[in-house]
Amino acid sequence: MKIFFTIVLKELLSFFRSFGLVFIVIYFFTAEVYVAATGMEIEARNVAIGVVDKSAGGISKKVLSSLHSPEFQTSKYYKSQKELSDAIYNKDIMVGMIFDEDFEKNYYKKQNPTINILIDSTTASQSLMAIGYIQNIVMKFNNLKLPVELKMHKLFNQNADTKLFMGVSELLSVITLLTTILTAIAFVKEKESGTWDIMLLMPVNPKIIILAKSLSQIIIMMVGVSISVGLILFHSLDVPINGNLLNFFILTFFYVATTAGIGLFIAAISKNIMQVSQFSIIIMMPIIFLSGAWTPIYAMHPFLQYLSIFSPLRYYIEGSESVFFRGTEFIDLLPYFSGVLILGIILYWYGFRKIGKLF
Amino acid sequence: MRLRVIKAYFIKEMIELIRTKMIMMPYVMPLLIVILFGYGIKMQVTGVRTLILDNDNSQISRKLILKFEHSKYFTTTLKNMSEKDALREMKKANTDAIIIIPSSFQKNSLKGVKTEIGVFIDASFPSRATTIGNYIQGVILDLANDFHIDSSGVININTRNLFNQALRDEEMIVPGLIGMVFLIAPAIMTALLIAKEKEEGTIFNFYSSSVSKVEFLVAKLSAIFFLVSINIFIVFLVSSYLFDLPFRGSFFLFWLASEVYVFVALGFGLLVSIVSSSQIVAIIVTLMLTILPSFMYSGMIMPISSMSGEAFVLAHIYPVMYYNHIIYDTFLIGQGFDSSTNILYLLLLFGYGIVLFISGLLLLKKEIK
Repeated sequence: MKIFFTIVLKELLSFFRSFGLVFIVIYFFTAEVYVAATGMEIEARNVAIGVVDKSAGGISKKVLSSLHSPEFQTSKYYKSQKELSDAIYNKDIMVGMIFDEDFEKNYYKKQNPTINILIDSTTASQSLMAIGYIQNIVMKFNNLKLPVELKMHKLFNQNADTKLFMGVSELLSVITLLTTILTAIAFVKEKESGTWDIMLLMPVNPKIIILAKSLSQIIIMMVGVSISVGLILFHSLDVPINGNLLNFFILTFFYVATTAGIGLFIAAISKNIMQVSQFSIIIMMPIIFLSGAWTPIYAMHPFLQYLSIFSPLRYYIEGSESVFFRGTEFIDLLPYFSGVLILGIILYWYGFRKIGKLF
Repeated sequence: MRLRVIKAYFIKEMIELIRTKMIMMPYVMPLLIVILFGYGIKMQVTGVRTLILDNDNSQISRKLILKFEHSKYFTTTLKNMSEKDALREMKKANTDAIIIIPSSFQKNSLKGVKTEIGVFIDASFPSRATTIGNYIQGVILDLANDFHIDSSGVININTRNLFNQALRDEEMIVPGLIGMVFLIAPAIMTALLIAKEKEEGTIFNFYSSSVSKVEFLVAKLSAIFFLVSINIFIVFLVSSYLFDLPFRGSFFLFWLASEVYVFVALGFGLLVSIVSSSQIVAIIVTLMLTILPSFMYSGMIMPISSMSGEAFVLAHIYPVMYYNHIIYDTFLIGQGFDSSTNILYLLLLFGYGIVLFISGLLLLKKEIK
């Protein structure tokens, strides 16, 4: 046992001595999470809108005045339809609205006036959402006397604030990538400089060495996660916590151990640090892809849905989101725990065998 | 510049790339990214798992449920359970939206009394929640039309989706991915090849030989340039045939812009390699400088015209935006050389590349520190 802790301590010491690695880990856990959360906006905000108004301008002004910030910029006026479409072609604006000459006349005659809208639909989700916004605004303007009213509740994130979601999911990807690479590097560095053979030749059980080395990396990751959750998620981004934070940390511990297992496997098959980076990209990409981080799993191809059962990240993402946003109770989290745990034991055991076999 | 030396160096680089299997890098990584992300990122929401609690069980409520069932956007389950249980289902992440029809729905709506339909949406993924909300509103409005409400004088909207009529995700995402991979792959390759020589000490061969700095750089960069140039065609074929993208613009412009852009990426990698002393640092610094910014400042997720403040300035400093403008144009818009913006951006990219290359050349030292 004493040997075990000595090795853990030695690993931690050598981690803190390599200034570059420490810097990278701190960078990814703080700045990277923060930048990704605040910089990516998926909702349509501040949309540039252009208008050609050939009507008398009374009604059209009223409609336009309800397109305001934060969703829309103040509208720019163009003289002709040609100018408007040129502006869209050059991406100066994203949405163009055209009011015809008889728009206002028809409005007063109650003959269903029409607004023509041109949308640059090359920009992913934002064009979809801009259309939705405009439809809603015009609908409100129409003020139909519907007997039905929708009482819409957006649960868990009332204002549909993207940065909360982006912050959490970026942290999860950072954990995935860093754990694999750090664990793999811890072993391959020794391989490269030839000290791995010496380690294995020491009168110490190689199993203890491998366990201790991977535990040291897990400790580094857990400390990093705590810093990131406290400093970035809670302090800077105001992420809510509706569940029990302890559940998240237990889940994280299992997950980090799982990815450490993948790291062991990568370390076993690569000869130098170059190969570590190549293999980790090739192995981690599908795991992230199949996790449902980008596409909900139920929307995937049925075959991919089966494959996604084998991505540990899938259980981790759903579990963590449930803890942070949905406030799920422990009983309902059990599927995620068992998913991560089962895959973790298999992957870790396999990586463990693989790296131990080398001598 | 002696051509003979460059040729010899070029051949040496190629042989080395083949021996170390690094030659796979400009092909495997970009294709992996384009294919995985191209299939993976879905902005459109379909098959929303919707739980409907019908407390009314009348003609109209069934009509409403039918409307949800017939829409491709929803996968509905009709269940008789309490609100609390339904919420628990959502907490278990088994359902995305809950729609609660009140018990006096038919009675009130026929009388013209306002009734409220309760809608609960799981907003842990915020943008998806907004879209789901819009869909549900659409369905309810559709139902209202069946009630024969006086709709004369109502303003209609006639929307035309330019460039991507069916709003296909692939057409929105894949061109942006091309801009991403042609920055990352050449930059990493360049940074690695030079950092590798530094780490292994073989850079001293260059220090002590009569090869000049220009010859060294031209030979090294043109090897990568050549490999990535082939990939321009492969990526083009993948996006046209695998993802079925239309190609409306000029192919010559696409090719020219891509070559110029790869040149810019080489300059990026060159600058990174100068500051990094080992391969792992080179990789991480390039990834830090390329992946996130090429997502954020490319106009793929967030249009440049919607940006403000520092994001707007940063997007204009970063090269991806200019290339992406041209790529989206060649694939979807199709103005080609007629648009002065395209030509301006092409020239800007070229100037960008020259500046990076020259500053790399000046900063590269042919001596031991």
